[in-house]
Amino acid sequence: MLRNYFKIAWRNLIKDKMFTILNVTGLSVAFGIAILLAMAGFFDLSYDKFHTNADHLYKVYSVQQTSKGPEASVSQPAPLLEALKAEVPGIEKASRYLQQEAIVSFNEKEINMDAVWVDADFFDMFTFPSLKGKINNPLEKQSSIVITESTAKKLFGDEKAIDKTVQILINGKDHPFNISAVVANNLPQSTLEFELAIPFEKEADYQNNKDTWDSSYHDVYIQLANGVSPKQFEKATRALVDLNLQEQIANAKRDGAQTNADGRYYKFDILPVTDVKFTKFKNGYAEVSRSTPYLVLGIAFLILFIACVNFINMSIAKSGQRLKEIGMRKTLGAKRKQLFLQFWSESFFVFCISVLLGLMLSILLIDSFKTIFRTAVSFDLLISPTIILSFLSTVLLITVLVGGYPAILLSKLGTIQSLKGKLDHSGKNKVRDGLIVIQFGIAILLISGTLVLREQLDFMRNKDLGFNKEQVLSFPLYGKKDSHQALQLLRNELASNPDILEITGADNNLGLGKDGSLSKSIYGFEYKERVIYTNSLTVDYDYVETLDLKIVKGRNFKRGYANDSLSVVINEAMVKELGEKDPLTAYVTVSDSIRYPVIGVVKDYNFEKLDKSIQPITMFLNNNEGLYYAYVKVAPTNMAKSYDVIKQAWKKIAPNATFLGSFLDENINRTFRKEEKIAKMITAGSIIAIVLSCIGLFAISLLLITQRTKEIGVRKIIGASITNITFLLTKDFLKLVGVSFLIATPIAWWFMKEWLQNYPFKIDLSIWSFLAAGILTTIIALLTLGVKTLKVATQNPVKSIKTE
Amino acid sequence: MIKITDLEKYYKTEELQTIALNKLSFEVKKGEFVAIMGPSGCGKSTLLNILGMLDDSDGGSFIFNGEEVIHYNERKRANIRKHNIGFVFQSFNLIDQLTVFENVELPLIYIGVKKAERKKKVYEVLEKMQIMHRRKHFPQQLSGGQQQRVAVARAVVNNPKLILADEPTGNLDSSNGNEVMDLLTELNKQGTTIIMVTHSEHDAKFSHRIIRMLDGQKVIENSLI
Ligand SMILES: Nc1ncnc2c1ncn2[C@@H]1O[C@H](COP(=O)(O)OP(=O)(O)OP(=O)(O)O)[C@@H](O)[C@H]1O
Ligand SMILES: [Mg+2]
Repeated sequence: MLRNYFKIAWRNLIKDKMFTILNVTGLSVAFGIAILLAMAGFFDLSYDKFHTNADHLYKVYSVQQTSKGPEASVSQPAPLLEALKAEVPGIEKASRYLQQEAIVSFNEKEINMDAVWVDADFFDMFTFPSLKGKINNPLEKQSSIVITESTAKKLFGDEKAIDKTVQILINGKDHPFNISAVVANNLPQSTLEFELAIPFEKEADYQNNKDTWDSSYHDVYIQLANGVSPKQFEKATRALVDLNLQEQIANAKRDGAQTNADGRYYKFDILPVTDVKFTKFKNGYAEVSRSTPYLVLGIAFLILFIACVNFINMSIAKSGQRLKEIGMRKTLGAKRKQLFLQFWSESFFVFCISVLLGLMLSILLIDSFKTIFRTAVSFDLLISPTIILSFLSTVLLITVLVGGYPAILLSKLGTIQSLKGKLDHSGKNKVRDGLIVIQFGIAILLISGTLVLREQLDFMRNKDLGFNKEQVLSFPLYGKKDSHQALQLLRNELASNPDILEITGADNNLGLGKDGSLSKSIYGFEYKERVIYTNSLTVDYDYVETLDLKIVKGRNFKRGYANDSLSVVINEAMVKELGEKDPLTAYVTVSDSIRYPVIGVVKDYNFEKLDKSIQPITMFLNNNEGLYYAYVKVAPTNMAKSYDVIKQAWKKIAPNATFLGSFLDENINRTFRKEEKIAKMITAGSIIAIVLSCIGLFAISLLLITQRTKEIGVRKIIGASITNITFLLTKDFLKLVGVSFLIATPIAWWFMKEWLQNYPFKIDLSIWSFLAAGILTTIIALLTLGVKTLKVATQNPVKSIKTE
Repeated sequence: MIKITDLEKYYKTEELQTIALNKLSFEVKKGEFVAIMGPSGCGKSTLLNILGMLDDSDGGSFIFNGEEVIHYNERKRANIRKHNIGFVFQSFNLIDQLTVFENVELPLIYIGVKKAERKKKVYEVLEKMQIMHRRKHFPQQLSGGQQQRVAVARAVVNNPKLILADEPTGNLDSSNGNEVMDLLTELNKQGTTIIMVTHSEHDAKFSHRIIRMLDGQKVIENSLI
């Protein structure tokens, strides 16, 4: 019996090849893309879940009430760890965590590595399985370090790594460390990333900071016993807050800060480790948002939905041609169940083929998918019984629902009704129309989203940031040589080149350089009975000139002014913060008592990404602090040549370092990676959505128009023109697209408005993006319909009325 | 009104070429009622389609109302057609999705008649065809004879000068057939030219003149008046 069903199903599919091809193509593409997107989405959601103890691991953060409202921070003071362990019940393990590069040398090799400085518990809390060496507590000894497999390869090649001794540069001196364990490479879905782990107590500033509560510089992770809630944790930390953070609390009171709901000025709270990747601190609250992976999953779902709608609509439209068959079968005694199985087996067949093709497509596309969307997802990461099982059940569910609906519809028809060969009088179908409206609504939603997203991205890329990003390139200066000295050597080297206009340095980069590092330092000081926070930046001479910043008051640091290294230049936002009528009378307090006067004010410029408003910044000219980046301004002509000149010059100065220079506009664009990724996803999603919707529309128009061929012939004989006919055949569909537009636009508007809230610097939403999406969709739908419509409209009517 | 000379029409299919009309010539005067007879496949329907400007010919001359129309393009022919010619078919060719009223109204819509005017005209012909009481029905809800009356109503609603009828009684029993023939005769009396293809000698007797065809050629003409 079953074989019989499949045999007939196969014959029916073969009979109408065009229809089958459209159906299978649409479904396979949708399955293929949905598989890839779902993988990317689930991959993102799986961040940090691989730790065996993931459910018990938390990151500690503090919320401090200030006069400007609550401010949260994950940076903690060094003595916090011991205090927590001593005072808070339920803490089983805890580790400090500081990410800071380390220069590691072994024999002749000297490599700058991503190091983490952690406590001994670290490897017991988190799951970084030891491959070789000490399995339990590998950081037990202060002279031990743990490295990853690829680090071992970098340092020792194929030689055995365990028990080798390397030198690590700390406070300007090499210290020997013994390799106690080699762990597996970091998984791509880990927020904790390191090439080597070093005992926290060995960190350069540890000795100075180990008992001070007012220097926060590292993260703290804890492992809680079963049944300890964040609230209990918070309560248990109150005593230690009152004991150790008196000064901070006193300052907050003095500055007029409001207490939190519990009447407190300072609290510690915890964040599940699996939320860390998705957390943004806003006004002192940890806002956990998984919107990006959910957006990706949403697009996958929408694409799948569109393809399923196609399938349903095409099946229903096609059923018009099979009514006589159904009627005959019923007359001959077929039961409803048998008819259902007959039609359902056809659907099942189509779905099986499509899922297989889709799977093949996704395997074929995975590599380009990974590069285009910058995701580290891969099939072997996801091959687990649960995932395979849920994949299969999803497919089965879709097959049952989507294949079952038309089958039920058809098997329910009365015998006479089907023999007459008409579904109903008007040829209209509310379910079909509703589904088409949703389909095109989705397409319009995604297209308008794409347009707005790209507009915002363009806006951010082209926005005047207040500094010269086109002509200036920056590169990291790290290395053993004193950075000020290195910069001087560079100046000398390039002095005679007319294309090199200015050279300077700072301890921070603008945008995201090729070294991939982003950092900022916040400095807080007491000013006239208030605490003021500012970004602090150490610069070299000519910083303002190199970047074309505008001085609005006073002057920049100048050579020959002995006191300039004890002065500061600030931006307008900092002027506001200080609240002085004449900013040149203000000062910044350093080391509790020394006042650095403000000698100049620069116009506000976007030193941070455009999703942040411009914060106060204070520039220091300090020859004792290292500079981490060099900035070189070049003439607008010969920029590529100038780049090479600088590269060569740097090679002479630091022969062993790789040159990681890039122009600031590239750096800025690099900071938009997240936006670009979303833009790419949603663009791809909307293209696929519109293509799939049009495949469905095309197939339906094909079937409906074929059904109406005779009518069209008659109308032409009676006097209808080609325009009349074209209008007749397209108006119903266009109406549906119109309704989709009306429904989708407010939804799209709301979503885009919400999204733009993330950016203090943003475009104004205009109705044009949405209209453009609507018009684009209409044109595409018209073109799709036009193919068949024009053919029928121009066909000889004598032929048309002969077709039955 | 109509004058054709040496009219030719071929059908080419993959295997063979059929000569559907072979240098056919005749003339039909204004106000005439002409019947065309001949065995199946002799080219009657082909002829009617060309006279109705639904199809191209492959040679000869076709003068309609004093105008040579043989080389007219689709648009021009459609324009002449919708103002001058009404069609009645053996299989009625009503549009299933439209009611009787809407079917009859359609030609008026396509020539741009105003709504109120349309209603008046449609009611007039429905009255005349004695089908008024059925105006809200759909074609499937009518008998064959009723359907053909609707088809005739649709053909005459814009007062065409010429009616082309291809076996209008072919699907009807004799009493329904006679009703339709009476209708056509009545229309002819009011001045409409009629060319009708038929297999029935009985029906042919309603006409003024019978043109008999064989293999795409005129073989004989009998005048009945
Ligand atoms: N579209 C076509 N393609 C090929 N040959 C055709 C086509 N239409 C008609 N013919 C051929 O042209 C010839 C004339 O056909 P036509 O339909 O005019 O005959 P008829 O006289 O109307 O016949 P009947 O009385 O059966 O309706 C026939 O041989 C027919 O097979
Ligand atoms: Mg015929």
